[in-house]
Amino acid sequence: MEAIQQFLIPFLDLNLLFLVAAGTFGGIILGAIPGLSVTLCIALILSLTYSWELLDALALMLGVYFGGVFGGSRASILINMPGGPSNVATSFDGYPLAQKGEARMALTLSTIYSFVGGIIGVIVLATLAPLVASVAINFGQRDYLLLALLGLLLVGSLSKGATAKGIFAAGAGILVGLVGMDTIGGGARFTFGSLELMSGVNFIVALLGLFGMSEILFQLRTLNQKGVASFLKKTVFPPLRFILKFLPISLRVSIIGVFVGALPGAGGEIAALLGYDHAKQTVKKPNRKFGEGAYEGVIAPEAANSAAIGGALIPLLTLGIPGDAVTAIFIGALFIHGLQPGPLLMEQSGDLFWVMVGSSVLANVFLLIFGLLVVSIFIKIVTVPKQVLLPIIAVITVIGSYSINNSITDVYWMLGFGIIGFIMKINKFPVAPLVLGIILGPLIDTSFRRAYMGSDGFGDFLFGFVNTPITLILTIVFIFTMLGQTNIFTTIKGKLKKG
Amino acid sequence: MKIKSSKTTALLFILIISLLSACGSNSSADNTGNNYPEKDIDGIIMWGEGGATDIIGRTLAPIVEKEIGSSLVMQNRAGAAGAIATQYVYDQAADGYTLLFGAENPNLYQVLDISERSYQEDFVPVSVIANSFAGIIVKEDSPYQTLEDLVNHAAENPNDLIFGTTGEGGLPNVVLAMLHNEFGTEFRTVPYDGEGPVTTALLGGEIDATTVTISAAQDYVESGDFRMLAVINDEEIEALPDVPAITDIYPEIDKYLPWGPFQAVFAHKDTPEDVLAKLTESFEVAIDTSDFRTTLENLGMEYLNISGQEAIDYIEQNRSTSAWMLYEAGETDISPEEFGIPQPE
Repeated sequence: MEAIQQFLIPFLDLNLLFLVAAGTFGGIILGAIPGLSVTLCIALILSLTYSWELLDALALMLGVYFGGVFGGSRASILINMPGGPSNVATSFDGYPLAQKGEARMALTLSTIYSFVGGIIGVIVLATLAPLVASVAINFGQRDYLLLALLGLLLVGSLSKGATAKGIFAAGAGILVGLVGMDTIGGGARFTFGSLELMSGVNFIVALLGLFGMSEILFQLRTLNQKGVASFLKKTVFPPLRFILKFLPISLRVSIIGVFVGALPGAGGEIAALLGYDHAKQTVKKPNRKFGEGAYEGVIAPEAANSAAIGGALIPLLTLGIPGDAVTAIFIGALFIHGLQPGPLLMEQSGDLFWVMVGSSVLANVFLLIFGLLVVSIFIKIVTVPKQVLLPIIAVITVIGSYSINNSITDVYWMLGFGIIGFIMKINKFPVAPLVLGIILGPLIDTSFRRAYMGSDGFGDFLFGFVNTPITLILTIVFIFTMLGQTNIFTTIKGKLKKG
Repeated sequence: MKIKSSKTTALLFILIISLLSACGSNSSADNTGNNYPEKDIDGIIMWGEGGATDIIGRTLAPIVEKEIGSSLVMQNRAGAAGAIATQYVYDQAADGYTLLFGAENPNLYQVLDISERSYQEDFVPVSVIANSFAGIIVKEDSPYQTLEDLVNHAAENPNDLIFGTTGEGGLPNVVLAMLHNEFGTEFRTVPYDGEGPVTTALLGGEIDATTVTISAAQDYVESGDFRMLAVINDEEIEALPDVPAITDIYPEIDKYLPWGPFQAVFAHKDTPEDVLAKLTESFEVAIDTSDFRTTLENLGMEYLNISGQEAIDYIEQNRSTSAWMLYEAGETDISPEEFGIPQPE
């Protein structure tokens, strides 16, 4: 009973209600601006709310968190520039949809399924938090390695036919991801003695350059009076039956999203990539091919990254361990307000848990309302003439890359990536695998080496892959996913069907 | 096609030129008189958002602002274990308008070949705000009940146990060196990205033991998930009265103490004396306020608030222990002597 009362606090307290609403709305707008990351917004809020009541501060932060991750998809769909790392996968099919005049449909569907994913994440948080946390905490280095390798297999589908070029780009991405101080050996890699290179290449900077600046340069070649899409399909709000069609796939990717979000070493960006991959593998008859404007290609990553938020809150509230960069700031907020985020948090301040669950549900409701209301405003972006739109985006990419670490070097990196991305695009190299490499490369590197350093020789290292249930399952999934894309497997499958 | 690509080039040039002009116009170093501060002061935090250094800097800033009568604008410039921020503050004018909020890490930049900067040669401490202690922890189901158990096992069975570290020069790295030099222990080490990840690894049973700041472990010790075998100090600490001090078990460690993580604020070495005096005074009052002392308590840090020669000596002692420990354990090839770092007595 007490739990229900605490759960309802944010719904009944007008102050909290307003803060969640304001946070969600602000989050959607700020998240939609490429480069203004959710992490940055929440860090700023933290410093503004030092003197506030704890619950007020958390309500605002949760609103911005849900709103911001969702808002990033607006930019992915409308201008092919992910608003944040979690929204990279959304651009794969979202932008093709916008180009085909279906921006309204893409925005609407992704809003609805962000809501669905977000709610599922919160339900798992409210009901299964201790269980999920105990699995997540036992996720070893080999498991991260396998997860990252699974993500890397996406290169095949992101290459759009040019597989060799895709693999080359992914390899280059992995190399870029390794630049900087090696967190394991301590040595400097590819830094040429420069201190600025020691901190490595921030992948948001790469994102802004490869997706943002390069897209601007690319579009300049065909500069004309028109916007991204020359026409907008007159879509009315999709009928309920059409919307419900995607419910099964959204449920599956949401479960993936919650779990990946709960892992201390992986966040929304990997959840969205794996969600996209899962949709691609399991949806037999998409409306169009994936990569050319499949509805599922927009729904899956958005449901997964929203669900990942609920997931990220699980280790935070049960163990005091952050599930991603944003929840690390939540820990700071709890500290500042005199709480000890740790295994005793639930015991000592159990009310906090339910108020946060309540605020999260509320944030998702506002996300659905605001998300659908502002579709008509966002949609105008695709019809803005390019000579107006592109300079604005150019300025935003510069500000965005500078704001990450207040570093002018990051701006140079962004411009460099812009030029590289431009050259890649005119030579028909896909840029998405390059980003994939930058995101996954460091994870593969560190998890592989930690797994190896923790084992007693090569035999022990290999044995570890079949040693524990979680790892065994992931190993099998990985092997089947890989073999499933080879010719031999298809032949065997064909023969089996005949026989 | 040609015309179009020249458009592209033109745009690029405009972009780059406007960027260059933007970064040329900063840091016009005026000589500061007695009227300091006449403008906003920049506070550069060497670690990212949400960490101990960040929380301390950001809670302290508004209190200092009231004292000094000017705004303190805090920015995070994380990267390369704080070396990016350290270099940045060093490159700014020595006028007291750019302060460095940092932890103990730069004390090892030279011997680990991370950066040329050091607190001793390039900066002057405004205040050492607070310090903390390191504790050696194992999981509750670990067979090692005391530090002796762990040390004896690791000395007799080299490379049998896995010790989680936070990379070169981190707390566990120095503690391992200490144990290795004194008792000949040999651990397999697996480095993680910081205290959070290494704590997680211990919870998940990936490693056998590690060392973290006591504030990071305290809650897990109370909940019974971890057992703390010793605290690296010469007496028990208030927060964890049941945990023995390492000198109670091994008195020979005493010569390395006091040693542990600290949080401090620095100004450029050549900052005018009156400016430094004003800063030191304002920080001293601000750190002493009850609001801020509560923040320190919540973070599990000990109030220190020292400045001047006392602060310089404190930082030097930390550097001397860490640098020589690592060198004697063979963790670094560069002798601390090359940088004139005295051996701990």
